[in-house]
Amino acid sequence: MEKLIEILEELQPEVDYETCEDLVDGRYLDSLTILSLISEIESEFGVQVPTVEIIPANFNSAKKIWELIERLQEDI
Amino acid sequence: MSYLSVEYLLLFLAVVIVYNFTPKKLKPIVLLLASYAFFFYISGKLVFYLLLSSISIYGAGLIMKKIDEKRDKKLEKTSKEERKTVKEKYKRRKKIVLVFTILFNVAFLFFFKYLNFFKKISNKIFNIFNINHRFSILKYAAPIGISFYTLQALSYVIDVYNEKIEADKNIFKVFLYLSFFPTIMEGPITRYGQVSDSIYNGSKVTYHNFCFGFQRILWGFFKKFLIADRLNAVVKVIFKGYMHMSGASVALGAIAYTIMLYMEFSGTMDVVIGSAEVFDIKIPENFRQPFFAKNITDFWSRWHISLGTWLKDYIFYPVSLSKPVKKLTTFLRKHINNRVSSLVMGAIALFAVWSLNGLWHGAGYNFLAFGYYHFVLILLGNIFEPTIVKVCEKLKINRKSTIYKGFQIVKTSLLVFLGEIFFRAINLTTALRMIKRIFLHFDITSIGSEIPNLGLDVKDFIVIVVALIVVLVVSVLKEHNKNIREDVSKKHIVLRWAIYYALIFGILIFGAYGPGYEPVDPIYADF
Repeated sequence: MEKLIEILEELQPEVDYETCEDLVDGRYLDSLTILSLISEIESEFGVQVPTVEIIPANFNSAKKIWELIERLQEDI
Repeated sequence: MSYLSVEYLLLFLAVVIVYNFTPKKLKPIVLLLASYAFFFYISGKLVFYLLLSSISIYGAGLIMKKIDEKRDKKLEKTSKEERKTVKEKYKRRKKIVLVFTILFNVAFLFFFKYLNFFKKISNKIFNIFNINHRFSILKYAAPIGISFYTLQALSYVIDVYNEKIEADKNIFKVFLYLSFFPTIMEGPITRYGQVSDSIYNGSKVTYHNFCFGFQRILWGFFKKFLIADRLNAVVKVIFKGYMHMSGASVALGAIAYTIMLYMEFSGTMDVVIGSAEVFDIKIPENFRQPFFAKNITDFWSRWHISLGTWLKDYIFYPVSLSKPVKKLTTFLRKHINNRVSSLVMGAIALFAVWSLNGLWHGAGYNFLAFGYYHFVLILLGNIFEPTIVKVCEKLKINRKSTIYKGFQIVKTSLLVFLGEIFFRAINLTTALRMIKRIFLHFDITSIGSEIPNLGLDVKDFIVIVVALIVVLVVSVLKEHNKNIREDVSKKHIVLRWAIYYALIFGILIFGAYGPGYEPVDPIYADF
């Protein structure tokens, strides 16, 4: 989780990732930032993010993104 | 027929009356029959193609559902090691169904909208290489709304394939989703998961929904009759006679056209959403104060939202995460850095998105240019974003200040106005000539002598300005998350009805109809 927050802060520093729960709906992360985030997640955590998982519900908070990563890791 | 017409209003009211006196269970069937009757009324026998699309996605959905069920049964008896192989085997089967259905639906769209364009390109190529063959260009009418309902059809099958939604066994529900008469001509491009339940709910027409729906419809008429239809005269004069006008007037034409387009299209959306609201059906918004956007990306997340999100979900992400693009970006990430890799990934996907966005609007070089114009602006915005941040820090410019935000809004609007010239001009050469005129012959002093010849008198200009101020005030309030309609409905009955009457009589008295005015055709219905 710490590593994920580090990645997020590098991509978009102006957000408090511990509390923010509308990263996509609040337009803090645009589609290009999400793409960078996905490639970082894939190389850091060794998972493949399928397009069907790219929905606001999975990216609205650091916690949700972490849950997605854990779920994808289980699927491997 | 336009949604912004008395003809539509009368048809709509007739449907509301029949719907209201039908038992709950049959209400969705009334909507379905009304939708097909409506489509037959505007497109005649071409309703056949809508029927074919509906049958294809309904059938494909059920076949894919069957494959999923078989897979799940098989998985119950499969060991953990073999699960992946089984999943892939069934996914391949589903993919065949999906690809076939997509091709089937896209083929109609291609035939009706793009075949002649590609024939013309081929003929030009034959000409260049002295090949003695020419494709004949046949003229035929396309089913109205084909660009809208085809995208909805594709989203349904792709979502079923991805198991985002479950294929529906109810044939009437799927058919109604694709043909729902308020959205069939001009969108918004809805998703099955978003609207199917409310569309098929058969809710009662309540006093509240009726009033709220009609408020919204009136608002659409206000935008069209007071502003769009008046600006139409100016736009026609300038886009036709730009060669004899100063660049300043051409720029004025671009601004007038953009405002007209917004008033016409967003006004239509008000009628669409308002109509659905009467039946208690919630259609997602297609506009969110686009002229408060701070950059082009932001603008497109506020303008024709349903097209933007469709392209994002079904083109942008799948292309950027496709195997070849991923291979390339992994290589770049290893050998250069993550930023370059993401930029390239985004650029490839954006190129696909904007090529399709341009073509979706029409088969013509000017529409492709319209798409690529926005592609270049967005790409440049992404490339230079870190530099702009650094420059602002160095110059101690507060990027959150109102002045800076105002500057961003003005800059974005000017770029949008310029881009709309590609959209409206009869061809690419004309668009480029007009843009050239703005930059090389911008003579602000001659605008005074040119304005009186634009087809509007002083009264017209006053009406436009006052109506625009009303729209602006409403937009500012909405941008600050004020729910104006709820606020108005809570006001004292006298004040509330005074507002409604002001709106009704405003449209009746100041609406641009009768001799001397030519109403705007429904622009997006042609796409």
